Amino acid sequence: MSVQLTVEQTAFLQGPLSMNVGAVGRDGWPCVCRAQGVMVARDRRTLTVLLSASRGRALIDAVDAGSGITLVVSRPSTHATLQLKASAATRATTGAAQRACSARCVAAFADELKGLGYGAGLEQALAALLPTDDLLALRFAPEIVFDQTPGPDAGRVLART
Amino acid sequence: MKISLESLRPCLDGAIPAVVATSAQDGTPNVAYASQVHFVDAEHVALSYQFFSKTRENVLAHPYAQVQVVEPGSFRHFRLKLHYIRTETEGPLFEYMKAQLAGIAAQTHMDKVFVLRGADIYRVLDIESVDPHIPPPPPPSDALLSLRRTLDRLGDTTDLSDLADRGLAALTAGFGIRHALLLMLDEAGAALYTLGSLGYPDSGIGAEVKVGEGLIGVAARERIPIRINYRTGDYAYQTAMRATHATEPRIPLPVLANPHSRIAVPLIHGGRLLGVLYAESEHDAFFSHADEDALVIYARHLAALVAQAACEPDDAEPAHDEPATRPTGAPLAVRYFAADHSVFIDNDYLIKGVAGSILWTLLNEHARNGRRDFCNRELRRDPRLPLPDFGDNLETRLILLQRRLAERCPTIALEKTGRGRFRLNIGRPLQLSA
Repeated sequence: MSVQLTVEQTAFLQGPLSMNVGAVGRDGWPCVCRAQGVMVARDRRTLTVLLSASRGRALIDAVDAGSGITLVVSRPSTHATLQLKASAATRATTGAAQRACSARCVAAFADELKGLGYGAGLEQALAALLPTDDLLALRFAPEIVFDQTPGPDAGRVLART
Repeated sequence: MKISLESLRPCLDGAIPAVVATSAQDGTPNVAYASQVHFVDAEHVALSYQFFSKTRENVLAHPYAQVQVVEPGSFRHFRLKLHYIRTETEGPLFEYMKAQLAGIAAQTHMDKVFVLRGADIYRVLDIESVDPHIPPPPPPSDALLSLRRTLDRLGDTTDLSDLADRGLAALTAGFGIRHALLLMLDEAGAALYTLGSLGYPDSGIGAEVKVGEGLIGVAARERIPIRINYRTGDYAYQTAMRATHATEPRIPLPVLANPHSRIAVPLIHGGRLLGVLYAESEHDAFFSHADEDALVIYARHLAALVAQAACEPDDAEPAHDEPATRPTGAPLAVRYFAADHSVFIDNDYLIKGVAGSILWTLLNEHARNGRRDFCNRELRRDPRLPLPDFGDNLETRLILLQRRLAERCPTIALEKTGRGRFRLNIGRPLQLSA
């Protein structure tokens, strides 16, 4: 069973976001990797998160070994943050659509940071950091969604199966 | 090549948020933003604990975490494997993080949300460079070179007055600092008073800060340097001073209304706190970790020179007592309040405390027998002055008095006539009342 994301949550996931994926390795070590794109399925029950295969090697190994997965997305200008978790994720294929999605998400993120005064040359720096040529996709069906916006209410459950 | 934690200090200033991954006991991963990853030493970092979060619950049950930090300028990512050790809820590290968190919170408009409850200390077990192909950012300005330039400009004077002025002016040449204060600890160790200032419309000479109050006071109480890189309303001085001392005569501290970067460094010599060097800037992230290191060394050097100056023997030759010409003009009304040793000139507040008491004693001596020439030694023995038996701040108090008079009442002047000797010059008749 999975939760169905709301229309608002789906729209939020299309915005300019800082994204990070977490998992736990077979040895018990937690690991994290910056993600560079997210796609929401038409039924709003499945997410495909995009990350660089070389940057996320440990995380991908952990997921392959059966780790649960968590995705944290935050909008830099408002700090509005969601965390979505699932007990498993599977690899998905990548193609032109995924590459286009990643490029769009990275550009939107850079644009957002530029507006916050993070300096010139940001688009090029982030594009070099998060290229689309070794993309890997992980698909999962969220089982629980948290509001993770900083503050005493961080961690409030928004939806669960 | 093994990456050192020291080389990652620019990543640990809160400019770009870090994320921390943890695991619940059942193996469920969690990722959260870390407001602050603080450099403790070559093997440890501290994470701010603000709320009882999932991260905290996880590390208390399973003490392993991975933190991802980002380097400003290059956006290179680094991942640190951490082992949770303990939480500190007081002491120097806690106070430093509390002050710095206030700056980070203000920068991210989270002032009301971020309150430090503890400093969670972690040992760093491994550092991974996520983006080894990305070149590092251009090197920052060389803090060691800045320090050398500052020391060259300072010279080796042992005159306290000169030291206070040069000690601040040298900061501009070395570090590009345009606003700074030199404050000395008072006899009771309860407050600091401003002996010199740089770059403010009002000098603020004589302005006091209680130990424990604001950034300067906390740096003095904890004897640690504190650096805040972003504008914050916390640790502001004027607001607190207006609120708590509305009726008490005092000299306002001449600090910037909205500084974006601030640093307070204690002056310590021989285990004793002598004062605090404070600098601020209108620019964000003006002071780097390396600048903090360099300013700590500079403050120690200044403290050693201040201590040396205080030990210099007074001139042995007795001062030649020159007869004074009788001043003319309208009399100047000088009023003294014994309760706090405050002195008012024509109803305007001049000074209080030890310096006020010294001035009142000198003016009375002068009124009684026309004396103008005095020496430090006789003041130290004078039972009318509230000087402590231990330590000797007399010279700094005289400098403070001399500067305050020059600013607010040049009709009365203290002129240095030798080491440990000075002359009282009075330009108008005085009308003393207590």
